[in-house]
Amino acid sequence: MFEDGKYKRNPDVSWRTIEGQAVLIHNRNSEVIVVNEVGTLIWEQFDEGLESILRNIQDTFEVSRADAESDAREFLEQLISAGALLPR
Amino acid sequence: MDIRVLPGDFEGPLAALGSGSFCVAVGGISVRFEGLPDGLLTAALERYGPFLSDDPPAHTVRLFEGDEHYLDMAEDKFLRLEEERLPEGRTLVSHSFAAFRPDQQPERGVLLLHSATPVDTAQGALENYLRWVVADLALDRCGFVLHAAGLVRGGRGYVFFGPSGAGKSTLTAMSVAMDPGCGILSDDLVLVTHRGSTIEVASTPFAGTLPQSDKKPGAYLLVGLYRLKQAPHNALRPVEPLAMATAMVLTCCPFVADASARRDRLMPLVESCCAAVPVQELSFLKDPGFWDIL
Repeated sequence: MFEDGKYKRNPDVSWRTIEGQAVLIHNRNSEVIVVNEVGTLIWEQFDEGLESILRNIQDTFEVSRADAESDAREFLEQLISAGALLPR
Repeated sequence: MDIRVLPGDFEGPLAALGSGSFCVAVGGISVRFEGLPDGLLTAALERYGPFLSDDPPAHTVRLFEGDEHYLDMAEDKFLRLEEERLPEGRTLVSHSFAAFRPDQQPERGVLLLHSATPVDTAQGALENYLRWVVADLALDRCGFVLHAAGLVRGGRGYVFFGPSGAGKSTLTAMSVAMDPGCGILSDDLVLVTHRGSTIEVASTPFAGTLPQSDKKPGAYLLVGLYRLKQAPHNALRPVEPLAMATAMVLTCCPFVADASARRDRLMPLVESCCAAVPVQELSFLKDPGFWDIL
């Protein structure tokens, strides 16, 4: 389960934002992930912490706090499963 | 037990294996091999025939006597090929060879190979070294190697990529049978390079299923980039958005391990290639009629 402050972006993941969508590639297993606009925001701003991310999601996409947090946590769990986030 | 190699292992005095040399060109990138024993030189000249070059080399690698083995064979006999980034440069090590490219002199390399290594295995060492160095030299020249079939028709290049079994070799064979004027760049690996505002695709000498003599050396304007998909009919569909197209092509760029620095350079090149030559998904019924819709 994701805990704010307990994870970091995997340094073995190369990434680039292309027309608002992040493309992540795992350098060890060559797995490639394309992330939507919300996920791109989360990934790009990951180091700023979950609270900041949630505020920015609400402001950018005009969604409720509850929806922002639900979507963000689901996405962060997916990133952990994919190996894009590692425990600190 | 694996033998770990360090930069000091590539320093003199090292015993020469031979005095033979040859130069092979990959899309304008020339790599020279020196210090080959006679048997390996003969085999290499035959293997790389159409790609031999007299151009000044961008990189020169010299062969010397090495250990009998470096990495243990994998249990499943699959090739182990491991790259390591050291402060002084990069090493590439396999069961039968070890190679080093120093940061201070990137245009030079050293390849260690035991004198009793069978010629076929030694050729594999040369091939792996060539793939390794060309991957980086291509990036230096705004290019990248792509696991794909490449064809030339009317002087223009077409690239077809996709997972194993997608039909690259079948498409290649059918295209040539339909049109003898159709040239094959490769059925396995092509070199894609930015040349100013255009994108070029070039043939490569890397071993695939086709003999080298069937390949058409040279570089051609890339006009089509197609992801293959087997289907009951021929159809064409643009791959959008650009991020998805870029991701698809990235999955077909071959790499050795620990290549994060290389990937960071590769991603913008692939993106700009896909922006210049839009990727399309080619649903492909295994007949040459697909050319009518390209």
